[in-house]
Amino acid sequence: MASHWRRIGIGLWLLGVAAAPLSGDNYVIKIATFVAFYGALALSWNFIGGYAGYPSFATAAFVGLGSYAGALCQNAGVPMVLSWGLAAGVTAIAAAALGFVVLRLRGHYFAIGSIALVEILSLIASWWSGLTGGGEGLNVTILPGGPVFIARFFLYAMLAIVVLALVATVLVERGRLGFGLRCIAQNEDAAEMVGVPTTLYKVLAFVLSGVFCGAAGAAYASWVAYIAPTDAFSILLTVKVPVMVLLGGPGTVFGPLLGSSALVLLEETVWARFLEFHQAILGAVIVALIFFLPGGLLGLAGRVRKSA
Amino acid sequence: MSLFLSRPRRQWAACLLALTAALAVPAVQAQTLKIGAPLALTGGLADEGKKQQVAYDMWLKRVNAAGGITVGGKKVKVELITYDYQTNEQRASQIAEKLITQDKVDVLTAPFGSGHTKVVAGVAERYGVPVVASVASSESVFNQGYKFLFGTLAPNGGLTDALVKVVTKQMPTVKKIALLGREDVFPKSMAASMADAAKRAGIEIVYNELYPVSTMDFSSPLSKMRSVKPDWIFMSGYTKDLILARKQMADLGVTAPVITMITGPAYREFAEALGPLAENVTSATWWSPAVSFKSDDVFGSTQAFVDDFRARGEKGEPDYVHASAAAALIAVQKAAEIAGSLDKTKLRDALAALELKTFYGPIDFTGNGMNAARELPIIQVQGGRAVVLAPEAIRQSTLRAVK
Repeated sequence: MASHWRRIGIGLWLLGVAAAPLSGDNYVIKIATFVAFYGALALSWNFIGGYAGYPSFATAAFVGLGSYAGALCQNAGVPMVLSWGLAAGVTAIAAAALGFVVLRLRGHYFAIGSIALVEILSLIASWWSGLTGGGEGLNVTILPGGPVFIARFFLYAMLAIVVLALVATVLVERGRLGFGLRCIAQNEDAAEMVGVPTTLYKVLAFVLSGVFCGAAGAAYASWVAYIAPTDAFSILLTVKVPVMVLLGGPGTVFGPLLGSSALVLLEETVWARFLEFHQAILGAVIVALIFFLPGGLLGLAGRVRKSA
Repeated sequence: MSLFLSRPRRQWAACLLALTAALAVPAVQAQTLKIGAPLALTGGLADEGKKQQVAYDMWLKRVNAAGGITVGGKKVKVELITYDYQTNEQRASQIAEKLITQDKVDVLTAPFGSGHTKVVAGVAERYGVPVVASVASSESVFNQGYKFLFGTLAPNGGLTDALVKVVTKQMPTVKKIALLGREDVFPKSMAASMADAAKRAGIEIVYNELYPVSTMDFSSPLSKMRSVKPDWIFMSGYTKDLILARKQMADLGVTAPVITMITGPAYREFAEALGPLAENVTSATWWSPAVSFKSDDVFGSTQAFVDDFRARGEKGEPDYVHASAAAALIAVQKAAEIAGSLDKTKLRDALAALELKTFYGPIDFTGNGMNAARELPIIQVQGGRAVVLAPEAIRQSTLRAVK
């Protein structure tokens, strides 16, 4: 995809999300906030799943870890935004440590290993009730300032996380890391042979795929003001995010953003129209999109230009 | 290739169109009491969500038959706006926001369960919209200092105290209790309050553990339980856990004279799924169709509510979820009538001051928003259906030992 098109696309996306408050409707702002939230998660997943080609299902593990770390820091008196930063740090460290272990696995084995991380962390959150409140969940104080302010504040907070993730994506893509990760995706053994430090690069990609999820999860916890193990470590979320990236275009900068907003809006529309069958319809749409659009929506755009 | 292109594009155009249509704000209407109800109609809590839906509809039919409700001397229509939140926390908070900002509801009801009630109450509190929760009974939901949250269930403590009273009175040989609770808001707090009540009654706690959500195998806690030989096995969880655990107890030969499963026997599904294994399992509940209250609400009496339920062609008998959900709307209705206004703050104040006799039982919201404690029914499955053991006034049978 030509780079000017990409810039226009990203610019329009950011503007569109940032302009949500113009609608004057807090529900629209809330949807825009979810678009940004999923955008950040999709960009994160793209590092490990898109560039390195490792099918990670650890997204919910990072989101949950971040939300718990953030909520605990905030309840301990750390200022809110700082506690998001701390949560991102905690998630990054955990991702590095866990990545060192699970990234020894490849393909399906890695996928299963990564999904196990979600389950294990969920169990820990559930059992360690002295710290996490266990199944009763954790309450976070509601931010004062009224609903209009809160809605806007969290929209721009999520958007800021998206921008950070975007900057990281662009830097990775232009740098050695991005090149190395693409080599790993194509043939890991060959990459290692020609001198790509595969273990280091994979761990870095895994950390990058965790750190923004951690921050977004912490912001989410402050936003909703209540988290519990089952919802913080949601398997649905961990599956949805890769679908978004595949839908938009894996291994690209704009694809994850496009895919996440498309899926959130699609869900919103389908769900509002077909109360009874929405999940079946959504499933069919996802299957159809993935069958007919192997390169995602961006791949489709590429094909349009070629055939034109 | 180009064949494929137009179709998704058209899809997109259609989606965008539909989206704009969905976001358009509905036109202003004459004065109507709008009640917003996020319901779990799909997903893990779908059975419970549908019960709430049935109860809301029963109430609405009665109200419509009466021509609406009277607010400030005028008849006001009632509109119930429901959405499916798919048993999904994010969706629940999203829908609460949608109901408040787009549908402009005057009051909300909460979904099933303590956790999702908290999420909806958190959103409503920001906007100052009253929420009446029909199926949340854990203190941890109501101790957040929320001003706009009310709950029709009585505190969990009331259930366990009543239970201990029945067992110690009718089966004084019970000296040792084993507790197993689900690591989740309501079941966990039930297990804790049971431990408390047992201690006070001088019953020795020989086992006390929690199991994680989505446990599929109870053999390890059950085997440990067997080794300590309890007289009373107390387990709390959701119906699916309880059915599974009861079956595994039978497989492993774990038993006790008293087996309590909170709140399995309150649901028709429990006895249906377990058959003879459900026999003599006890529970406490907030309401039973056997209670009989006369009331000045739209139903008039407990019997009328049960009759309505049967007349709809619903299976079996209504349980506490149905009754409490309908009672929540009765509370809203009475609050609106007393306040003489649909102003949210006035509704909130009227709810806080409410004292009602309903078909479901008395409603009197205490300082934290929960319904006041009262004597709650203790039930046991006998002959395939739940019968009431206490309170004395509505007793149908006496406590039997599990064989």
